[in-house]
Parts: sequence; C-alpha cells; structure tokens
Amino acid sequence: MTYQEERLLFNQKTQCTVVHHDGKIKETDANIFKWKVGTSIYDAHPFFEILNSFIEIFEKEETTYSFPCIHLEDEKIEKICDITLKVNAQEVIILLFDYSTKYHELNKIAQQKNESILKSKELELKNQYLLEKEKFKNSFISNINHEIRTPLTSILGFVEVLEKTKLSFEQEELARIIKRQSLHLNSLIEDMVDIAKIESGKIKIVDERFLFINLMEGFKETYSKLAEDKGIQFETYIDPNIQEYLIGDRTRVFQILNNILNNAFKFTEEGKISLSVTKNYQRTNKLSINFKIEDTGLGIQAENLENIFERFTRFNEDKQVSGTGLGLAIVKDLVDLLRGEIKVTSQPDQGTTFDIKLPFKFEITKSAPEKKKKKYSLPESKKKFRILVVEDEESTQFLIMKVLISHGSFFVDVAINGEEAVSYLERRNYDLVLMDLKLSKVDGYQATHIIRNNYGDKVISEVPIIGFTAKATEAERDKCLRSGMDDFITKPFEQEDLIYKIVKQIAKKAAL
Amino acid sequence: MKLSKKVVLLGHFGVGKTSLFRRFVDNEFSEDYKVTLGVQIKKKVIEMPDGRELSMIIWDTEGHTEIEDTRKSYLLGSNAFIYVFDLTRIDTYKDLNKDLAYLAKNHPKVTIKVIGNKLDLVNEKETLSKFKEQNIVVDCLTSAKTNKNVQDFFLDLANEITA
Repeated sequence: MTYQEERLLFNQKTQCTVVHHDGKIKETDANIFKWKVGTSIYDAHPFFEILNSFIEIFEKEETTYSFPCIHLEDEKIEKICDITLKVNAQEVIILLFDYSTKYHELNKIAQQKNESILKSKELELKNQYLLEKEKFKNSFISNINHEIRTPLTSILGFVEVLEKTKLSFEQEELARIIKRQSLHLNSLIEDMVDIAKIESGKIKIVDERFLFINLMEGFKETYSKLAEDKGIQFETYIDPNIQEYLIGDRTRVFQILNNILNNAFKFTEEGKISLSVTKNYQRTNKLSINFKIEDTGLGIQAENLENIFERFTRFNEDKQVSGTGLGLAIVKDLVDLLRGEIKVTSQPDQGTTFDIKLPFKFEITKSAPEKKKKKYSLPESKKKFRILVVEDEESTQFLIMKVLISHGSFFVDVAINGEEAVSYLERRNYDLVLMDLKLSKVDGYQATHIIRNNYGDKVISEVPIIGFTAKATEAERDKCLRSGMDDFITKPFEQEDLIYKIVKQIAKKAAL
Repeated sequence: MKLSKKVVLLGHFGVGKTSLFRRFVDNEFSEDYKVTLGVQIKKKVIEMPDGRELSMIIWDTEGHTEIEDTRKSYLLGSNAFIYVFDLTRIDTYKDLNKDLAYLAKNHPKVTIKVIGNKLDLVNEKETLSKFKEQNIVVDCLTSAKTNKNVQDFFLDLANEITA
C-alpha cells in the first residue's frame, strides 16, 4: 500500500516537530498534538525520553529511527502513531503518523485471536488438572482397596472359622452380623474399584465362550432360595430358543443382572420378582437378548427416575436397606461398555421394571462340550501333605494355618518372605507352596522365578505354587501364571475355594 | 540529580505484562484481558534511598510467542528488560533459557530480569521446587492481582540499574 493509499484509507494525519538537542521544541505544525514551541518535548510524553540516548550516541551522520504503533496521549487526546526520529548534528526531527483507526481495527482482531488462544489454553489446563486429579483418585482407590482387603480377608476367614466352633445363640448372631457387615464392606470396595476401573478405561470387555444356560440357572438357584427366605415369589423364564453357549463377557453380564436382581430383592417385601430372558433378534452369528427384571417392590418416584443411574443416588433413606448408591451407575456403565441398552419404568408402591438389551455372538457349527468343575481328591500315597505358606501378614498366616490344619490333611510351615521360602524349600520337601505376591526382600514373583529356574532337583523346581493377593485383576492373574505359578487365588478367599485349588494342584502333580 | 532509565517488559501475550505495569505505575488491576498492540509507555518517578529521583520509563510491549518477533526498535536504549511469563502456562516459559540467551547476546549491557507472574494461581513452594528441577532461574514470583512482590521487585530493579 502506498503512502497516499494509506492516507485515503485511514484518514491518516501527520505531525512534524523539530526539537533542539536539549529537548526544547523549535517548531511544530501541531497537526495532532497541540505542542507549543519553547516547551520541552520530554514533558510531552515519556516516549521522547528515548531521544537522550540517541543524542548521546550521535556521531556525524544523520540517523533515522522508526517506532511503529506507539500509544501517545496527552490530557486531551490519545493516538496510536508510527514515529520516525531523525537525529542530526543540530536537531531532532520528529515525524508522527497517526494510524489510530488502522491500529484500533487490528486491535479488535488481535483481541479476538489472543482471547480464543488463552481460552483454549485455560481449558487445556483445566482438563489436565482434572485428569491428574482423576489419576490420583484412581490410584488412591486401588491402593486403599489393597490395604483394606488384607485385614478384611482375616476378618471374613476367622468368622468362618468361628462359625464352625461351638457357639451360643447370641454368639452365633454376633458372628453372623460381623460376616454380613464384612461382606457388605467387601462389596463396597468392589464397587469403588469397578467405578475407578471404568473411569480409567481399565475394564476390558472380554469375548469368551460360556454356558449361558448355566449362568441363568445360577441366578435361579441363588435367588429362589433368597425368595423363599423372604417369603416372596421368584419366577424365571428362559427362552428355549437361546443358544446354550454364547460368546460375550460372562463376568460383566453376571455383574449387571446380579446387581439389578439384588436391588429388586432389597426393595421388595411382598409379591414377586421375575426374571424373563428372551431373544430379541438373531442375524448370522449375532443375537440380542432382552433381560426383563420386574418386581412388586417400593417403586421409584417419577422425578427420581431420570437420575437413577447417577452415582451415589439413593432415593430410599431407609438405613436398613444397605447400598452405596454406586450399583446402578456401574450397571449403566457396564451396559454401555457392552454396547447394550437399559431402560427403567416404575410406579411408586407398585414396582419397578428394568429392561436390558445385550448383544452376544454364538458359534454356528461347533457343538458345545459341557465343561464342569472337575472333582479332585488328594492322592492316597500320603496321609498328610506339607504346605509352605509364604505370607508376611500375621493375621493372614494364622487364618490360612487354621483353615489348612482344621481340614486335617495338611502340615503347614510359614515363611515370611521369598528369601526365607527358598531356604525352607532347600531344607524340606513340600507338596505345595502358597505364595503371597507382595513380600519384603524377595517378592512372590521373584521367589517363584528362583524356585523354577535355580534348582536341578525337581522336588524343588516343580513344586506346585499358588499365588495369592489382594489385587483381583486379570493382569495380576496373568502375571502370576507367566512367572511360573500354577494357579492364583484372590483375597478375601472362600475357604472351599482355597482347599479346592490346593487339592487340585497336589492331585495334578501326583498324576504326572 | 534526576535520572532516567528505560525498562522494557517482554514475554508472551496474556502473561500479565500490562497488569504488572498498571499495578506498579497506577496501583490498579483489572481481571479483563485487553491485548496490547505495539507499546504503551508510562513514567514512574521513584525516590531512591540516597535521595536521588529516578524516572523509570516503562515500555509495556505487545506479547509475542517468539522473542525474535519483538520489534527491535522497542529495545533500543534500554537499561533493563523484564521477561515476564505466566506461572500457569508452561508454553510461556518453555523457551525461557533460549530467549534469555538471545537477549543477552544482542543486548549485552542491559540488565535482564525474569518474573513468573500469576503467583495467586499456583503453590509457591511447589512451583519453586519444580523450577529448580527444570533448571529454570526466576528472579521473582509476582502476582499483579494481589500486588505480591510487585513493588519490591521494581524498587530492587531501580536500585540495581542506578548503582
């Protein structure tokens, strides 16, 4: 753009002022600022104090300095000017070009641009802060879960031991309360861990082939007994057209239905609860199943229905009805993860109906071999089998000893870390090692690695090892098996489950 | 004797250069962000401990993400540069050492100071320890909003450039 064009476009004004080296104004056309001859330019605006430094360094030839976009103001006006200073031996020529209009336009654009950048940075920061907070929360939950599970294992285990002793009626009742509350605490921990896992994206949906009918029969069996105890009816209908074996995430399907059924039983004191499972549609190897759970319980007020899947939602303030307010939120998250749908309808004092649609796959050709939990028994070669328990937690040591000794088929030794376990194995023959994973000095994985790799004596290197830990994750299970362990059990464990796994490993070893 | 020294505020946009400038010169603060186009210049007369008066001419320049984009003429005749960054935005100080090296190379006689602004939004102790780990040297942490360390910083600078 030429000077003339700019002048036309921005109605630009200019002002020419000549000043002496001492700063006194020699002449000015006063086109923009009404400066007076004889006054000091230094008093006109602090910008001009820069002249001092240019005059100080002036040598022989006239020097020109250009300063674009300088905000100049006096008592009356405010302008944004480009300024040119020409310093020569006698004077300084000051040329002001008033580009206020142009700069104000540019200012608007710059304001918009910078504001949007700053806003996006702010959002980025907020997002980062929230992610960090979330990460901290999830890791906190995961750690606290581990810390709580260990003592809880002892409580639940000892209650079971206690229940098998001779107790008065009152003591039996107290033991039952301890057990119920501990189980409640355990389910609360599981809920929190599930929420944390869902939020951190750690829940992986697994496609596995499973006996669908077995899963449904399991519900029928468990809840029929509960209904009988409560004095209500429990009806089930399973569509016979549904394939026996399906491919899907059995664990999560169980969790969803179990949660809804549990709720139905919590809030239904009379009448009936029904579970109806029907086929929605089937296309090639895919099918959609509709699970309908109806109850004649308390029901939910219309205004509360829309918040039913929110976290920490509890509409029933009756403290006798236990719950964390996380169950349905987990159900909704899991249904979403499985790409299903969930709907709820309810009438206060009449009951609630949950409709869940879940997608599955099935194998078209393969006939399904039935897989039942195989029965194992201890070999008859010995009367008693020697177990090495590697555990640093005193109460857990004691609990396992109690369980194993009361079974009557086991001798038990206890080592408190991996290093001690290895030295025990060197001194004595063991039939099985129960190995905690989180140990001081040498942990469970390292100890297993040493046992499997450092000994030529097969009695040591091939001893069955069962890992046990409070971390109930698939990754932990895989890590155990990869490190050379034969099986894995999670704390808190069922005594029956522990015995089953021990017997299974000893029997398998004996059969080799 | 009356002294005059030119001090230039530099740094990315939105770090609070104008807020520091207004806080020090006029003791004013506004939450609203207003972009600075070109340069605004104000004078603050400071009475020095030895009785002299210093006219601190402060040039509040428009922010740039690259220090090289700052107009060269704005830096002429300067006695001090104050490099301001935003303590909450890493992008405003990730190139700090490189920018300081550029300024020191091109203006070897000019005093250079570094301010981390918006102290009211961060934890001072954690921030200092983070900077120590990252080898970031800051002369002062300020909050133009709360006026924390602002006056002291400029007065210390006045002493340093008139010594």
